[in-house]
Amino acid sequence: MNRNSKPFQLFAYTFLTLFAMINIVPLFWMVVNSFKTEQEYSSGPFSFPKVLQFENYAKAWEIANMNVYFFNSLIITFFSLAVTVLLGALAAYFLARFKFRLQKATYSLFVVGMLIPIHATLIPIFLIMQKIHLLDTYWSLILPYTAFHLSLTVLILEGFMRVLPKDLEESGVMDGAGVYRIFWSIIFPIARPALATVIILNFIYNWNEYLFALVLITSTELKTLPLGLANFVGVETASLTLQMAALTIALIPILIFYLLLQKQLVNGMTAGAVKG
Amino acid sequence: MQTLKGSRLAIFLGLLPALVIYIGIAIVPIGLSLYYSLMNWNGIGSMTFAGLNNYTRILSDDTFWLSVKNNIVIMATGLLGQIPLGLLLALLLNRGLKGSGIFRTIGFMPVVISSVMVSLIWGMIYNTEYGMLNNLLGLFGLGDWSQNWLGDSKWSMWSISVAYIWQNCGLYMVIFLAALQNIPQEVNEAAELDGATGLKRILSITIPMIRGTIMVAVVLSISNSFRVFDLIQILTGGGPAHQTEVMTIYMYNNAFINMRYGYGSAVSILILLFSLIVITIINRIGREKDA
Repeated sequence: MNRNSKPFQLFAYTFLTLFAMINIVPLFWMVVNSFKTEQEYSSGPFSFPKVLQFENYAKAWEIANMNVYFFNSLIITFFSLAVTVLLGALAAYFLARFKFRLQKATYSLFVVGMLIPIHATLIPIFLIMQKIHLLDTYWSLILPYTAFHLSLTVLILEGFMRVLPKDLEESGVMDGAGVYRIFWSIIFPIARPALATVIILNFIYNWNEYLFALVLITSTELKTLPLGLANFVGVETASLTLQMAALTIALIPILIFYLLLQKQLVNGMTAGAVKG
Repeated sequence: MQTLKGSRLAIFLGLLPALVIYIGIAIVPIGLSLYYSLMNWNGIGSMTFAGLNNYTRILSDDTFWLSVKNNIVIMATGLLGQIPLGLLLALLLNRGLKGSGIFRTIGFMPVVISSVMVSLIWGMIYNTEYGMLNNLLGLFGLGDWSQNWLGDSKWSMWSISVAYIWQNCGLYMVIFLAALQNIPQEVNEAAELDGATGLKRILSITIPMIRGTIMVAVVLSISNSFRVFDLIQILTGGGPAHQTEVMTIYMYNNAFINMRYGYGSAVSILILLFSLIVITIINRIGREKDA
């Protein structure tokens, strides 16, 4: 059925194209200009570069400490993600597959966390980290990232595990396997689709996080990518082309990640937002 | 589960690590915030009980009220900008036009990019001398329209609002699109038979059908507006002269720049309180309409 009239199509495509351009042009403009010399940029911000200045990238990588920030972001993101998903899956398993006292209360407790705004906990977390001497270490970020993403992780995994057929564990029980053995060799592998969603979500949230990093990390050698970039741009104000090169370096991996895992990211982030 | 009875210890041990981290770092700090908010403390000396002193001082600070005003601007930006735009985009993308998928991909992109990156990119767009916006205006012979977009308090909140819409409207677009796709085909067909087409159908059938989702989006947008921090912190730092400060920035500055932990905690409690009040009111209004 063709229910779209010609004038409607014209309006729709004009509007959507305009919208798409507003989303893309700033990024495109930044990438193009990141290949120019500083003079070339200031004399014509909309021309194409005469010669592609790959040195900008080498310089930005060097001056902005990009290798350090990438490394820190990777370590912190993956550690938090691993801890969150493992502990979250274990908790979800017991919440979904067992009956015990306070089960509902425990579940509600986890879910309530999605409503907690980070800034309402920022000062106490800073002071706690200071007290236990973890301030300005990887742990000062791994612990809060884990704590704040356990809610969504448990919610998604519990939902998936609860609807698995009841007789799934039976063969394990017959073999005399303990509850942990059943978790590890039966439930955990079956939960792979839900685990994938949770891993992707945890990755993107941890990778992009800024506020905790800003407050809890001060040493340059421990800064994450968002914090490092914000710093670099704040300091290296003289050279916009270098800033653009640094931003492009950080942008490319996340764009690839998005295009590869688009479906899970869109569905997961939407569900994550709506449920919170 | 009967077959797995008698493993209470195993259950306890399995839940324990997640609960310890979660309660210790996400739940307990809320209580601590409340406690600190009643204290006078700069982090070094001893803590002294201050009663509601912090609160009365905050509520009599003009800068705080300026930040409240800016939070209201951000909230309005979300409600009047992000949500209608997201809804319009979703309605257009739900018509089975060719290429809808590409527009959806592009539309959601800013949501995936970190807010730091979004802010830094918009900082370059707004740059007075070398920014994209002023140069673009110059290109079209509108050089007179050039502004110091972030440094001029006449424009700074507007500039931030535009970036805020850019960053988030894709999220609402996808939320609405999912709801629209859940409307059964028969509903649309029945509407068509009744002669309800085009705009009329959207207003009288489509919008009421996704009312629940619109309410969810409204609540989400409001609660996000109280959490805005990265964008403003990086674009303007709350300047010029506090003109773009929001409550979270006000809290951050007091707690971590001026080391007034008690005072900052009181601000964070107020933010929580304000957002709870607004969301409760909105939910109440939403439910009344249902009745």
